[in-house]
Amino acid sequence: MSYKLPMGPYHPALEEPYKLEMICEGETVCDAKLHIGFNFRGIEHLAETRNYIQVIALMERVCGICSNIHTLTLCQAMEKLAGQTPPPRALYIRVIMAELERLHSHVLWAGIAAKLMGFKTMFMACFGLREKVMDVLQTISGNRVNYSMNRIGGVNRDIPDPESVLKMVEILEREIIDTIVPVFTSSGTVRSRCAHIGVLTHEKAVSCGVVGPTARASGLMQDLRKVAPYAAYADMEFNVPVETDGDVRARLLVRALEIIESCRILRQALDKLPPGEIHTGDAKVVFMPGTAMSRVEAPRGEVFYSVSWKENSRNPSRVHVRTPTFANMPAVRWMVIGARVADTPLIQASIDPCYSCTDR
Amino acid sequence: MNVSETIPSTLQELDPGPERIGAHWFSPAPMSVRQLAQAMKNCSARFVTITAYQLPRDEGLCLEYVWDLDGALLAFPFRLAAESIETIYDICEAADWIEREVHEGFAIDFNGRAYEPLLLREGDRIGVNLREEVK
Repeated sequence: MSYKLPMGPYHPALEEPYKLEMICEGETVCDAKLHIGFNFRGIEHLAETRNYIQVIALMERVCGICSNIHTLTLCQAMEKLAGQTPPPRALYIRVIMAELERLHSHVLWAGIAAKLMGFKTMFMACFGLREKVMDVLQTISGNRVNYSMNRIGGVNRDIPDPESVLKMVEILEREIIDTIVPVFTSSGTVRSRCAHIGVLTHEKAVSCGVVGPTARASGLMQDLRKVAPYAAYADMEFNVPVETDGDVRARLLVRALEIIESCRILRQALDKLPPGEIHTGDAKVVFMPGTAMSRVEAPRGEVFYSVSWKENSRNPSRVHVRTPTFANMPAVRWMVIGARVADTPLIQASIDPCYSCTDR
Repeated sequence: MNVSETIPSTLQELDPGPERIGAHWFSPAPMSVRQLAQAMKNCSARFVTITAYQLPRDEGLCLEYVWDLDGALLAFPFRLAAESIETIYDICEAADWIEREVHEGFAIDFNGRAYEPLLLREGDRIGVNLREEVK
């Protein structure tokens, strides 16, 4: 006999509102339906009421984890409409901020995944490391969550002493590689808890149009930093980890390996940080009417912005945001079908969902 | 990258030109939205999103369908004669949530599909968030 089991709107692990309504037979999930919108804030409408400076501050608040990514994508779109190209130093600083944010996001996610596996010590270790990543972000930007780094034509703050930041990053890299990476790549406990559960096949990943680590864990080689480089990524050497199993373990492996690659990019960017200005310095920005599109590889996958401007307007006429979780979340239905109920919190968490981004 | 070499044969006679403000634009869209979805599926392009907006001076609504083809962003604007357009959900599964979101935000109907509430709750009024005349 089948029964309906609602999970949420309070998620058992992520403390964000979302609901998964599962149809179960015994302990097995037969089908599921997702409900979002519990935190809908109407940010796209609000953006139409803000001028080109205010809208950056607004979009930084779409997400508390990848806040920098949202302003980066927005500024890139607005720069296309304003005909501005940030100076090389600004592009490198954007890469540094984006990779630190990826580190922060992946380490935080690793902690939550560890907690869901019953590995509480690892959870504490990950959150301890996350604090250190935030220390680096604070050293650069003065802030720990919303960094206010991006502006039209560049960045707001310089990195006057890249060597000291590099030292912090090297210490951090050693700690992460010594603690998180071995546990997630070779521990038997992690393997037994994560292997062969929540499988998203390659075909289903293509059909659902998933992005980021969720796509790369199902064998899709897609990373905008490689295929459509922005900021200074074309100057960076790095690998894109791809796994083919499509299960929770594959998603975990991809993120663990991405941590190593992020550290590699950070070292290169800090080593090669070019001299010069950090923004174009244009006091007045004039936008041509039209629609510009921009996208960035956020920690969870592709963030897409479409920004429209009318003639002689101070405000955008439309800002559309497609976040990675919005693309990935429908695939959760296919991941949980056939899974045990007890595994579903970990399966849901394995896409590293951000409900704040999704609800906007 | 030369986009003309990778776009499906049904679109090859149209040259989108170089990337302009973030995408290669096929404007006006060269075929029906369903034919387009099928052509994109045939060439393994990844569906990105649909951006809806109101045109100035009461010129109606526009939907921009966006696909990624080997790292190139392809944008296809469709001006709506009425407040409806055919769904592509049955061809492109990835379009499900964004069609529902556009329906709720702009009160645009995607013909040939059923809706379940996405961001709104059952019975909430559609079009309130993003349509000028409904606000």
